[in-house]
This record gives sequence, structure tokens and C-alpha cells, in this order.
Amino acid sequence: MIQVESLNKRFGNIHAVRDVSLEIHPGQIFGLLGPNGAGKSTSISMMTGLIDADSGSVSLSGLKPQSKEARHKIGLIPQSIALYEELTATDNLSFFASLYDIPKSQLQSRMDWALDFVGLKDRATDRVSGFSGGMKRRLNLAASLLHDPDFIFMDEPTAGVDPQSRNKLFDNVLELKELGKTIIYTTHYMEEAQKLCDQVGIIDHGELLALGTVGELLSQHGGDTLISISSDQGVKEFKSSDVSNDLIQELQASNKVYDISVNRPDLEAVFLNLTGRQLRD
Amino acid sequence: MKKIIALMKKDIKLLFRDKMAVFFTFVFPLIFAFIFGSIFSGDSGGSKALKVAVVDLDQTEQSLQFVKSIEEADEFTVTLATEEQAKDLVRRGKHVAYFILPEGFGEDYKGIFTGSPPEVLVGIDPSRTAEAGYLEGSLMKLGTDRFEQAFSNPAAMTERLDASIAQVQESDDIPAEWKSLLGDYLPKMKELTQQEMGGDEDFSFGGDGEANPMMPLKVTKQEEVVQRSGPKNAFSITIPQGVIWAIMGCVIGFAISLVQEKTLGTMNRLIVAPISRTQIVAGKALGCFTAQIAVVALLFLVAYFILGVRFNFPKLVLAAVASGVCFVGLMMFFASLAKTERSVAGITNAFLLMMGMVGGAMIPLFVMPGWMQAISNFSPVKWAIVAFEGAIWRNFSYAEMMTPVLILVSIGVVAFILGTRMVKLEEA
Ligand SMILES: Nc1ncnc2c1ncn2[C@@H]1O[C@H](COP(=O)(O)OP(=O)(O)OP(=O)(O)O)[C@@H](O)[C@H]1O
Ligand SMILES: [Mg+2]
Repeated sequence: MIQVESLNKRFGNIHAVRDVSLEIHPGQIFGLLGPNGAGKSTSISMMTGLIDADSGSVSLSGLKPQSKEARHKIGLIPQSIALYEELTATDNLSFFASLYDIPKSQLQSRMDWALDFVGLKDRATDRVSGFSGGMKRRLNLAASLLHDPDFIFMDEPTAGVDPQSRNKLFDNVLELKELGKTIIYTTHYMEEAQKLCDQVGIIDHGELLALGTVGELLSQHGGDTLISISSDQGVKEFKSSDVSNDLIQELQASNKVYDISVNRPDLEAVFLNLTGRQLRD
Repeated sequence: MKKIIALMKKDIKLLFRDKMAVFFTFVFPLIFAFIFGSIFSGDSGGSKALKVAVVDLDQTEQSLQFVKSIEEADEFTVTLATEEQAKDLVRRGKHVAYFILPEGFGEDYKGIFTGSPPEVLVGIDPSRTAEAGYLEGSLMKLGTDRFEQAFSNPAAMTERLDASIAQVQESDDIPAEWKSLLGDYLPKMKELTQQEMGGDEDFSFGGDGEANPMMPLKVTKQEEVVQRSGPKNAFSITIPQGVIWAIMGCVIGFAISLVQEKTLGTMNRLIVAPISRTQIVAGKALGCFTAQIAVVALLFLVAYFILGVRFNFPKLVLAAVASGVCFVGLMMFFASLAKTERSVAGITNAFLLMMGMVGGAMIPLFVMPGWMQAISNFSPVKWAIVAFEGAIWRNFSYAEMMTPVLILVSIGVVAFILGTRMVKLEEA
């Protein structure tokens, strides 16, 4: 259980995170969705104890994130590729593993598991500098899982990744969920949030604007499903809530119907409705 | 501790992966020490290599001629001097040795078969046994000229025989038998010579070697202890300088690597791991320290086995540890000043180059003009060089070593404390 209570963080004049409160249940994937500069990374930094909050509190199953006990349970996948490019994949992993108190007998099997998990077993002895962007991202994930953390914080893990690596990463996230991990996943891709997350928080300008399951958010803030009919009478749109006589009349009046499309609301629409802006510029 | 060592090992590994860093930390300093050492030690091994001061107290035709033959010899560069000047030159280590031709040199030079061989006083530092042997050999070779001259020039030979006959007759200390023998023999020699002489006749008068007139010269050694104001081996100067360049390489490399941990984001991994900030900083410091000790060890191994530099080992260890502490502290300080690799490299480079120039990493301290030596006191590089030189040629006592050592350690500790206070690890 991750409990976050009215977190605040300012950088000079910028109020990067304001009064953010969350509750994330064990085994859930929580998506933090917001555009660039919304305060996603800053929130993660406070939740993992990287930086101190100006006010508010974070509890990881009752532990402060700065405590040693909590640190053994935190897996942080930084937004940047936080690896030593000139070292091999194995060297990187064994170094990061050495920072945790992993018993020697388990060390090798943990490293093998992590490499296998992200599909880099056959590149274990290659230097990271020769890896593609997607491979680096996957190793970036593997390096955070060696100590088998309970709370996994993924900060835009798919940035700059080709569709194949992206799908592999999605699988990884879902597998981790199956292993019972609690996952916080930040992104500005609404498809990712929609696909992976049990709960989504929408953040902009440091403020948490909405919180709930994808379905809840869609129904609360997504607006209506729009049905548009393109016929010899022109293109007309109908809200799903008043699909009654108007729609039927329209269909009857048309001699030829070229196309009928249904536009369900998505998180993009939720964001648009909440902020009046597009999620991505 | 295990985690600190893991941090350190990772940094050393990274250092070795960076070919440029390896070059500037390990190879360049060696090249520097080697090239400059060879340039400055132009006075060893080459022709006209041995600088000698010559004092002619005799001022006869023979002594002047002998001086000329020394001047013409391949192995010497000669300075004509008074006895005082000559001794001074040798004591200050400016010249390898002095030769004094005492009064009576010319007389003895002429008397081939009688009296004692002409004496040459050679003043040289007792530690220079190799040079002493070489000098003696060279002088002897020059001395044999007097025989050649005699035998290849009948007129001169006749003259010398006359001189010898006269000497024999006048002398009191030649036994009677010898006197009569020589009285018989020498005139016959004279006849023979006047008929015609070969130059390669072998004469032996037996007797003890000391006074054997058939010895070309009598070389008497005088000990002139060099007051060591400068080192004997030019590499003794350039090795500490090379060490400084290597240490600078380590400092810049580790300052950059610390900043890089932040810009890459690996520092974030370290911070969220169950290790303290103290451990993170200690790992960096230990890595930097170890790398420095490694380059010092490498350079001094080369210095010892290849360049023939001798040093006091415990004092070298003292110097290496003290300068290690100093430059680890400076590394932390520089790393705390800058946010990007470029700026940290720029700041560190600029500071160290300046300190290096002022502190004797390029121009040896002991040839600096006084005002510059005064300025150099503000450079940690100077004190590191002084400490290393103290272990090599300055012959520092432990008490004397303490001055540079304490200065270095103090600078290191202050810089380290400032650096660790100011450094913001979490800043991405
Ligand atoms: N160390 C810092 N110093 C000053 N300002 C900062 C710092 N870190 C973040 N900010 C500011 O705080 C705000 C939130 O930044 P944050 O990195 O949390 O956004 P984000 O949602 O992660 O964005 P992105 O999608 O670009 O990663 C931004 O305006 C950013 O400029
Ligand atoms: Mg971010």
C-alpha cells in the first residue's frame, strides 16, 4: 500500500507538485498521466525518497521511503537511461546488485533472471554503448529489479522506444503485476495508461486533476460517445445519450449512408475536458 | 565497506574503459617524464658529456699541453678555474669533477724513467664511483701521451734522457747500485735514441707501483661531497612532474565521473539504494585515491627499473598518501562546483594547469626565480612535488617531510569537507 498525502514541492517560483494525495493498493498498476513538466518525475522523486517534499508525507506500507528498510523494497526506473555505457550489461547489473544485500548464492540467478526477463540474455557481455534505444530501456528496467522490489516506480519507461521493445516492456509491466508488485507508471501516452493501468491520476501543472479507474475517468470526464453519420444529407454528429428519434429520423431521411462511426471518449478527451488542452503538443 | 569497494571498483573499471583517460593518466605522464628527462639529461652519455673544472697550478709547457689534451678529449667539457672555483663547482654539483695539476707536474711529466709519475688531483663526490673510474681511465689514456711523444720524437727523448741522467746523479735517495746501473744505462739509451728510436719499446723498472715512473700519471682522488642543491638524475625532476600530470588526470577524470553520475541519472539509482550518501562519496574518494596511488606506483616502478632513479621508499609512500589525500579533496571540491561534465572539466583543468605551472609541474621548482618560488607556495602542486622530491633527491628527514605532508593533508581535508558539504547528489 502506497499512501501519499498532500505532497508539495516548489523549485523557486515553480510549484512543481501541489497537494497531491494518492492511495495505491498492493498489486495495482497506477498510471500518472500528464504532459511534459506536469510534475510526474518530481512526484516520483518524492515517493522514492530521492528528494524531500516541502510538505506532505509518503508511506510505503508504513515505511518512510528514506528508511533503509524501504529502500530494499523500492525499485526505481529513472526517466533517463541510468546505466554506465562503457560497461557491459552484466557489469552494470552486478554493480547495481552490489548496492543491495543480495546473498551471494542468489546473485547470479537474480542477474540471469533480470536479463532473461527483459530479453537481453544473449547481449549480456556486450557494452551498453552498442545497444539500441529499446535495449537500453529494457536494461534500465532490469537494473532496477535485481533486488526483487515490492514497489516499482517507472518513470516514462517507453520514451524513445520502437514498437517491438515497447510491447516487450508492456508485457514486462503486466508480468510484474502478476508477481504481485505494486507499480507506479508515468507516461504522457494515454494509450499506455488505458492499456495497462488499474488506476489513473491525471496531473497538470503539479495538480492532480482527476483520479480513478480508466472507466470512471471516461464516464466522469470523457463526455459522450459521439456517433457521426455521413450521408447524402451531409455529416451529422449525435451524442450517444440522445440517440433516439433524431438519429433514426436522420437515417430515414438519407438516401445513401456513406459511413457511420462511433467515437468513444478516451483519456485524451478526459484530459482535454479537464484542462482545455491537448495532452501532447 | 563492501559497497564502498564495489563503488570504487566500478569507477576504476570505467576509468580503464575510457582510452583517453587512460592515456592522460598513465601514458602521457610517462612520456612527459621520459622526454623532458632525456632533454635535461643531455649531459649524460653523449660526447663532451663530463663537465670538469681544470686547475693548472704548474703553468709549465707540459702542464699547459696536458690541459690542452684534456680540452681536446672527446669526453670532457672543460672549465679553467682557480682551485677555489673548481671546488665550488663540484660541491654545488655543477661539474662532475675537478682536476688539479700541482706544481712540479711539468718536471715529473718530463722525467720518464725517474722520479714519480706526474700527479693529478681529482676531486669528485665519493658516491660517483662509476664516473670516478671512468675519469681515471680517461686521464691515464691522456697521460700515456707523454710516452708516445717521447718515443716518437728523438730530439725530445734525448732531452728527456739528459734530464733523467741529471736527476739520477743529483738525487740522494736512489740506492748506489741503481745509480750506477742507471748511470750506465741511460747514456746508452741516449745513444740508441740518437741512432733511431721505436715508439713501442717496453721498459720496466719494477719497484712499487706508487712511485713507478712508468705509470703514465699518478691520480690522487680527493673527496668533494656535493652539497645537493640539485638532483643528479634529470628523471628525478621529471618523474615527480610526470606524477603530477598523472594525478591531475585522475582528479579531472573522477570529478567528471561524479558529475556524470548526476547527469546520467545513475546517481539516482545510488541514492535510492540502501547505501548512505557518505558511502557514495567515500566510494568516489577511494576510487580516486586508488587510481592516484596506482599511477604513482607505475611511474616510480618505471623510474626505478628503467630510468635509474633512486628514492626512499617509506618517504615515497608518505608523499603518495599525502598528495592522494590532497587531490581527492580537490576532486570533491571541483565536482561540487559544476553541474555539467563540460563545466567541471573546464574548471578543474584551468585550476590544475595554473597550479601546475606555478607549482613546478613544468618548470622545475629549483630553477624558478625567487619571486615565482614565493608564488608557488600557494600551489598544492608545489607541495606535492616537494614531497616526492623529498623522497628522491632532496634527502629530507622525516621532520622535513612533514611540512609538505601536513600542507597537502590540510588542503585535502578542507577541500573535501567543503566539497561534500556543497555537492548536491540528487540534482539531475
Ligand atoms: N531540479 C529542479 N529545479 C528546478 N525546477 C525543476 C527541477 N525539477 C523539476 N523542475 C520543474 O518542475 C516542473 C515539473 O517537472 P517534472 O520533471 O516533475 O515534470 P514531468 O512531469 O516529469 O515532465 P516530463 O514529462 O518532461 O518528464 C517543471 O516545470 C520543471 O521545470
Ligand atoms: Mg519526467
